[in-house]
Amino acid sequence: MMEKTQEEQQSSPQMAAPDGGWGWVVVGSLFMSSALVFGLIRSLGVFFVEFVQYFGESAQAVSWIASIGLAMQQLMSPIGAAASNVYGTRPVVMMGGFLSGLGFILASQATSLVHLYLTMGLISGLGWALVFTPTVASVMQYFTVRRSLAMGLGFTGVGLASFAFSPLFQYLVEVYAWRGALLVLGGLSFNMIACGALIRPLGKPKVVLKTENLTKLNKCSSLLSRIFESFELSLLSHRGFLTYAVAITFFNAGYFIPYIHLVAHSRHIGFTEYQAAFVISVTGVVDIMGRVASGWFSDLGKIRMPHMLVVWTGLLGLSLMIIPVAVVYSGLIVISVVYGFCAGAMTPLAFAVVPEIVGIGRVLGALGLLQLIESVGGLLGAPLSGWLKDCTGTYTLSFIAAGSFLVLGMLVTMTLPYFWSCTAPPPPSPSKRMSQDGSIEDGLLKQTLSSNSVPESLCPLDDTPYSDKELKVCWKSDVTCPVQERDEIPQEMMHHTNSGEIL
Amino acid sequence: MDLFLTNSSFALHKTLIERLELCGLLEVCFADWATISWNTGQNQVIIEELAILTPQYIELLCNLIDIPNNPPYITGYWTKDGQEIENSEETVNRNNEQYIIKRTFSIQARDLGNYSCMFRENEAQVTFVLVVPVIKDKRDKPVVSYTGDSVVLECKLKHTPNTWNWYKANNTEKGLINVTANPLNYKIFINGNETKLTVLNLTEEDSGKYICSAEFDIKPSESYVELKVLSYTEPLKPFIAIVVEVIVLVTLILLWEKCNKPDGANVFSSTRDESNGVQNNTARQRKLEH
Repeated sequence: MMEKTQEEQQSSPQMAAPDGGWGWVVVGSLFMSSALVFGLIRSLGVFFVEFVQYFGESAQAVSWIASIGLAMQQLMSPIGAAASNVYGTRPVVMMGGFLSGLGFILASQATSLVHLYLTMGLISGLGWALVFTPTVASVMQYFTVRRSLAMGLGFTGVGLASFAFSPLFQYLVEVYAWRGALLVLGGLSFNMIACGALIRPLGKPKVVLKTENLTKLNKCSSLLSRIFESFELSLLSHRGFLTYAVAITFFNAGYFIPYIHLVAHSRHIGFTEYQAAFVISVTGVVDIMGRVASGWFSDLGKIRMPHMLVVWTGLLGLSLMIIPVAVVYSGLIVISVVYGFCAGAMTPLAFAVVPEIVGIGRVLGALGLLQLIESVGGLLGAPLSGWLKDCTGTYTLSFIAAGSFLVLGMLVTMTLPYFWSCTAPPPPSPSKRMSQDGSIEDGLLKQTLSSNSVPESLCPLDDTPYSDKELKVCWKSDVTCPVQERDEIPQEMMHHTNSGEIL
Repeated sequence: MDLFLTNSSFALHKTLIERLELCGLLEVCFADWATISWNTGQNQVIIEELAILTPQYIELLCNLIDIPNNPPYITGYWTKDGQEIENSEETVNRNNEQYIIKRTFSIQARDLGNYSCMFRENEAQVTFVLVVPVIKDKRDKPVVSYTGDSVVLECKLKHTPNTWNWYKANNTEKGLINVTANPLNYKIFINGNETKLTVLNLTEEDSGKYICSAEFDIKPSESYVELKVLSYTEPLKPFIAIVVEVIVLVTLILLWEKCNKPDGANVFSSTRDESNGVQNNTARQRKLEH
C-alpha cells in the first residue's frame, strides 16, 4: 500500500500541468516547430517553380511533392503518437527533426522528380509527423487552464513563418539555386531537434507507466497489447471520438479549399495579381489574430469549448459560401477578413476540444488517430473542388461546397456526447480502479464517477493519469466537481491546424 | 476625355497587326492608326508598339478628334526619334470633325525607331515604336547552378523567327555556340518561337553571359541571360553554420536541464509558486495521503 501511495505521490506532481513556467518554453517550441513544418510547406511554392523548369515536368507532377509530404505527415501521425507513448515525446521529436532535415539534405542531390518524392515527400513527411503531434500533445499536457491560449500562441508560428519564409526562400534560391537552398533548409529543419530538446517530460511515457503497473499483475505486456495501448486503438470504440473524427474529416475537406482557390478566384473575377496577393496577406494576418483571440477568449470559460467551435465553424462555413457573392473589391476584402478570422479562431479550438472528449491521458493517441482519419477529408476535398471548377468554369461551386462541408462538420459536432449540457462533461475515466485509488478519492469523486457515462478504455489500469486529473480538478476550488471540470476540459485538436496549415 | 483605345478601336488594331504580318516587301501595309482626342487643357500622348519582322512599307495614320473651336484646318508633321522628318509637314482639312494625317514609310533595318505624328497647334501626339519583336520575359537575376550539374537557358518570343542562335559573350566578343563541335557540352532545342540551350558538365568557366538571338529578315532580336556556376562549398558554409548552432543549442539545453535536475524539490516548489491552484492541489493531496 505504501509503495502504491508513494508511486502515486511521485507521479502526481509530474502529471500536474504547470500551467506556466516551463510550459511557455514548450509553447515556444511549438511555435518553432509549427513554423518549420507548416510554414515551410506553405512556402515551398518558390521551389516548385524551379523544379518545373529544371526537371521539365508539369506543375501538377511537381505539386505531388507537397501532397506526399502532407499525406505522410498525417498518415504517420499515429506512429508519432505511439512512439511518444512508448519512448516519451523528447526523443521522438528530436528524431523527427533529424529526419525532416535529412529529407531536405538528400533532396538537394536529387536527379529526378522521383527522388524528390522519396526524400522531400516520404522522409521529411515522416519527420514532420514525428515532430508535430507529440509537440502539440506536450503543450496540452503542460497547460490546463490556459490551454487554448497556449495552443493559439503556438500556432501563430505558422502564419508568421509563411510571411517570413517566402521572401527568405526566394532569396536562397536566387543565391544558391534550389540545390543549395534545399541544403540550407535541411539545416534549418534541424532546429526542430533543439525544439524537441526543450520538451521536458512531465512524467514517464504512458506505456512505460502501464507496464510498470502491470508487472505486479498479469503480464499484459505482450507485444500486441503494447501496440494496442501505444496507438490508443481503444479510442476506435469511443463514441465521442468517432463523432469528432467524422466532424474533423468534414472540416478538413472544406477548410483549405479557399486557400488554394482564393487567389485564382480573385484573378478570375478580374482583380490584378497584387490585389489578389493582398487579399491573401490580409487573410493571413487576420488568421493569426483569430488564433490568439480565440484561444484567449475560450480560456475565459464563458462559453463551453464545443459551443465555441460550433460558432466559429458555422461562421466560417457561411462566410465561405458568401465569398462568390463578393464582386466588389472592398466586399471581397471584408469577407476574406471574416473568413480569415474564423479560420484562425477555429484552429486552436479544434485541437483543444480533444482532451475534453477523450481525456488528457489519451490525447496523444487521439491526436495521432485523428490526423490519420482526417487526411481522408483532405485528400477528397482538393480534387473535388478542382473538379467542380473544371466542370462549371467558376469557383462559385467550389466555395459553396467548402462552406457546406464545414456546416456539415458543424452539425456532426453538435451530436457529440454532452454537447447539449451547459456544463462540461466529467473527464472520461474507466470504472475499474485500483483499490488504493478508490479508497483515497471515493468521497471526492463520487459525483464524477456516477455521472460518467463515457465508455471506458478496453485495457484496464490506465487509471493513474485520470485519477490524478480528477483529484486535481476537485481540489481546485473546493466546490463541487462539475463546476470545476468546465475549466479543465477544453482542449484543442491539432488536426485542424494541420489540415489548415497544409495550405 | 475620351479613352483612346475603346473596344472597337482595339479590335481594329489587332486586325491591322495581323495584316501586317502577312505583308511582303513591296506592298503597302496599313499598319496602325490611333485616335487622339484633344480637350481643352488636356494633353494626351499615346505610345503604340509595333513588331516588324521583314523590311516593308508601312502606313501610319493619326486621327485627331474633339478639337475645341473646330478650326477648318490644322498643320501636322512627323518625327523620327525626336527629329522632325523633312518635308513631312502637311495641312490637314477638317473632315466631319476629324483631322486625319497619314504617311507611308519604307522600313529597313536602319529605319526602325520611334515615329511620331505631331501637330503645330496643340500638344497631342502619337508615337509608333517600330522594333523587332522584343524578348520580354528576361530574367534580371543570374541563373545559378553547380559544377557537374546541367542547366537549361531559354528564350521565348511571340513571333516565330527564321531561326535561333546562341552566343557566349566573352567581354565584348560573341562566340557562336556550335553544338556539332561540342556535343558533350551543349544541346540546343528549337521549337518555333522558343529555344532552349542546355549546358552540360558545368565548370566554373561556363559562367558568363549567354545571348540568344532570334533571326528575322529585317534584323536579329537579342536577349541575354547570365549564368553563374558555383562550387558545392558555397551553400555548405551556411549549412555547417546552422548545424553547429543546432548542436550548441541542444547541448546547452540538455546540460542546463541536467544541472537543474538534482533539485527535484526545487522544481516542485518553483512550479508551485508560478501556477494557480494546481500545485496547491497536489500539495494538499500529499497531506491527505499522509
